[in-house]
Amino acid sequence: MASRDAILRLPVALRQSVVTSRPSLASLAPSSPCSSSPRPYATETTHATPESSVNHDEVSHFNAMASDWWDPHGSSRLLHLMNPLRHQFIRRCLAPDGLDPDRKMRYLDIGCGGGIFAESAARMRNVESVTAIDPTPEVLAVAKKHRRTDPLLLEPGRLTYLQTSIEGLQTPSDKQYDVISLFEVIEHIQRPNPFLQSILKQLKPGGWLIGSTIARTPVSWFTTKFVAEDILRMVPRGTHDWNQYIQPQEMRDWARGQKELNTSDGVGWHVMGVVYVPGFGWKEVKGSEAWGNYFFAVKKREGAV
Amino acid sequence: MSSAATFKRLLALPPAVRRSFYSTAVSSSEPEIYDVVCVGGGPVGLSFVSALHSHHSTRHLRIALIDSQDLTAPHLDSPGGTYSNRCSSLTPAAVRFMKSIGVWEKIDQPRIQPYHAMDVWDGVSGSKIHFDQQQGAGLIDALAEMVPGNRFQASRRKYEAGEMVVATMCENRNLTGALLKRIEELKDERSSSTLNMLAKTKVDSIALGAEAADESSPDFSQWPILSTSSGQNFAARLLVGADGANSPVRRFADIPSPGWDYNQHGVVATLNLDRDLNASELRTAYQRFLPTGPVALLPLPGKKASLVWSTSPAHATALKALAPEEFTAAVNAAFRLMPVDINHMLSASSDSTPTSELSWREPATPPTSTGLPTNFPRIQSLQQGSLASFPLRLRHASTYTGHRVALIGDAAHTIHPLAGQGLNLGLADSEALAKQLVYGVEHGMDIGSSWCLDGYNSERWAKNNAVLGVVDKLEKIYSAGSGPVVWGRSAGVEVLERLGWVKGLISGAAAGRG
Ligand SMILES: Cc1cc2nc3c(=O)[nH]c(=O)nc-3n(C[C@H](O)[C@H](O)[C@H](O)COP(=O)(O)OP(=O)(O)OC[C@H]3O[C@@H](n4cnc5c(N)ncnc54)[C@H](O)[C@@H]3O)c2cc1C
Repeated sequence: MASRDAILRLPVALRQSVVTSRPSLASLAPSSPCSSSPRPYATETTHATPESSVNHDEVSHFNAMASDWWDPHGSSRLLHLMNPLRHQFIRRCLAPDGLDPDRKMRYLDIGCGGGIFAESAARMRNVESVTAIDPTPEVLAVAKKHRRTDPLLLEPGRLTYLQTSIEGLQTPSDKQYDVISLFEVIEHIQRPNPFLQSILKQLKPGGWLIGSTIARTPVSWFTTKFVAEDILRMVPRGTHDWNQYIQPQEMRDWARGQKELNTSDGVGWHVMGVVYVPGFGWKEVKGSEAWGNYFFAVKKREGAV
Repeated sequence: MSSAATFKRLLALPPAVRRSFYSTAVSSSEPEIYDVVCVGGGPVGLSFVSALHSHHSTRHLRIALIDSQDLTAPHLDSPGGTYSNRCSSLTPAAVRFMKSIGVWEKIDQPRIQPYHAMDVWDGVSGSKIHFDQQQGAGLIDALAEMVPGNRFQASRRKYEAGEMVVATMCENRNLTGALLKRIEELKDERSSSTLNMLAKTKVDSIALGAEAADESSPDFSQWPILSTSSGQNFAARLLVGADGANSPVRRFADIPSPGWDYNQHGVVATLNLDRDLNASELRTAYQRFLPTGPVALLPLPGKKASLVWSTSPAHATALKALAPEEFTAAVNAAFRLMPVDINHMLSASSDSTPTSELSWREPATPPTSTGLPTNFPRIQSLQQGSLASFPLRLRHASTYTGHRVALIGDAAHTIHPLAGQGLNLGLADSEALAKQLVYGVEHGMDIGSSWCLDGYNSERWAKNNAVLGVVDKLEKIYSAGSGPVVWGRSAGVEVLERLGWVKGLISGAAAGRG
């Protein structure tokens, strides 16, 4: 019973990691220990335009699933349960800079979906504003509708939803963001390098790019491809492109290649592996970033532009 | 309750409530928006808002506390004067909570009485359980000690830490007075306090708000809107029911609260004893199980003590009709005579008074035959006007939370007073809910959502349910007057004596009061 439960639950989380993340796109992906053939199928079903990271097939895929985003027992449940860890991880990253209670930060949430993280960030006392973007109109409609259930979030400027890709987002240079979040998005991007590059342009010097994703390993292949798609048929076959999953080390290698990023451990770079334990919830498990869901964060150098 | 069932209930709830909204007049004035509206300023509700207002993460929340009663600290007599008949025994855990939120230092210390041991004996078999500070511990600790392998170390540690107190007797109004003082102090600390205390204000109705007028305005259709006797309206992000056993909040949320009546009344009184003990002396609480229900004598300062006598409604009526000196004799008899004689004394057909019954039966009833503890005091008189009774019930809400609703204290559960847990459980609820809201705020949650509230329900419901179940079983086991259950319990008393957790339960209980 319990083990069936466990199997039933885990893929939902992983499926959701697909559901929340709309922008999809093209890639980087240095060699990895697990993937000898770097994404041979990755571009076959998508019609990405060169200017935008938006994958139109994925966009329509999410429309159908938009309705139960905020249902406490719906398919987004595990994402909701993961949300507190996102804040804990962000706090960990910001801590060395000293959390000045009077300093209010500007957040940009990319691939905001129904607004799970964006709403929560907008409620934080140290947040001035949250800009949340997603290319899928249906999920943004869900997000905007749900925002109305909390009058606080309707205060002018506190939470702004925009239907756009990161490439299409216009940000004046004095309005860059202190924190840019990218939760369960990067694994749907076929060409992560240009995608991440356009994110960095929006990041304030000294600011943080913070995200979460799944490592490309036999474990994640088993849970997301084999169990969720082939056995349980909880998600249509082909929902995940396992070859697009990114290893923490690959993320870090990419960051090291960007001169404006600080990647020294615990100062400019953090990683945290998390595991869903049925009956308990999400839990940090040291070292699990190598084989499952993980958070990463990288800091833009103070002097960078 | 399974999550599916909870969900069904949530689905079922709004339409019914919406109906009640449309049938009761739609309020004219715009509601004021609050993060937390707490209905009920009893000890539980007051401790909850003090806890929220004491913590830096929840201090900024806009809170309204509404009670139909006055909310000013009551005047307390000087020590040696009279004591309220509504006392509770606070477990060390409850006292720790009060200390942590700065309330304990506001308590009128000379009016409280810690006790260090408890004697419990069975009126039918005479078998005894004694426990003292070595058992330490309240009920929850005691239950935790049931975990195999844990028991010895845990009690040992407490002993070595010098935690001598089984529980502390405190008048409810001493506690509420301290809470109100602390709340005043917290309000004064900040120029613009976000805590609004509404005394002498009754909540007349609670209903869901209106659908939003247009796409850009807030949608209150899932927010509880309260209307008060003062004509104000409040919209609550989170509505907390600390509104006692008949909780209007629980009714609004349509949360069932199944249970049963014990067909017993709790007779309470403040008594004067023959012995004047000074503050430094170790004190003992006493409880005797009679077939009609347990009778407990809990120490108050000096020569005062608090009585909780759970008995049949007929006996309760008979007791309340007695003259003060006859009542005093009846209480002495309740601890000293055989159950059959006590029944006779209180039966409607009895032609003897408690005084005469006691004077000729007591010499013929050696303490060894009843299990009477050797140090048991003699009750000398009844404090005038302190005799009262209330019906005993077990009720347990099927869940403590709903969308934008949470229940704490008697609104969530009522329990038999034999274990003295009622208020302690309520304070533990309040502490847990406040903690959960701190967590919610620190993680950007909507504190009225199930994402935030679920943690409170899962932390408290099962624990309270276990306590309610054990207390209920103790009541049932000990109210058997004869037969196998009695034999079993006297033969098994050795076992019971060793069962630390049962002892802990009764002692945590010691306090005898709800
Ligand atoms: C008659 C009686 C006698 C008791 N005697 C004892 C005793 O001797 N010893 C003991 O330990 N325990 C006793 N108990 C139990 C004990 O009082 C409770 O466990 C404890 O008070 C629970 O605290 P609470 O704050 O949850 O609820 P309560 O103390 O019941 O507080 C609820 C509050 O809500 C307010 N309220 C309710 N409805 C509304 C409304 N519509 N609008 C505004 N305000 C509202 C009430 O005015 C009240 O102040 C007794 C209970 C009762 C009913």
